[in-house]
Amino acid sequence: MESRSLEEWNDQIKKDIADNRVFIYAKGEKNAAMCGFSHRVMQIFNAIGSEYAVRNIFSDPNIRPAICAFTNWPTTPQIFVDGEFVGGCDIVTEMYQSGELQTLLEKPAAKAD
Amino acid sequence: MITIDEVQKKIESALPGARVRVGTFSGHDHFEAIVEAPQFVGKSRIEQHRMVYDALDGLIGGAMHALALKTSPLDEAES
Repeated sequence: MESRSLEEWNDQIKKDIADNRVFIYAKGEKNAAMCGFSHRVMQIFNAIGSEYAVRNIFSDPNIRPAICAFTNWPTTPQIFVDGEFVGGCDIVTEMYQSGELQTLLEKPAAKAD
Repeated sequence: MITIDEVQKKIESALPGARVRVGTFSGHDHFEAIVEAPQFVGKSRIEQHRMVYDALDGLIGGAMHALALKTSPLDEAES
């Protein structure tokens, strides 16, 4: 179990989403979700064949409050693409079903300034 | 504990004119909602979801363990 402050997690979140094209804050580890919604999101990125990284919000009690404050979003999982918050499980599912998510990921990675 | 009716009323009063359907799944604290609202026209999906979360002020993560949400703009000309 890690133990970092909210401030440190806020900095870590900025680093996570800058260093990874697709980043998921989930309940559980990559491909070992502990929640149906986190599981579904990982399955979607697996189905697309996209690389993604996961941070388990249960690995430190401060991750969940830090990420919810960062995005002003009350639920997890939370998904970022190219450093931008895309939404939660419902939005990512809709984007996958409509093909928007695949289109977004086919584009070359947007370069963050 | 919060009921389906209470969740529905909170969303309806924050978004007048909306069509709101609320249910539960896998237990009484996992909610699902389908919300069609005129206020969603021109808003991104993230903004639409935020408007529903705001209507439920602090309940999500508390009395509501989860909310599976589907939102869409309601074109008033069609309703």
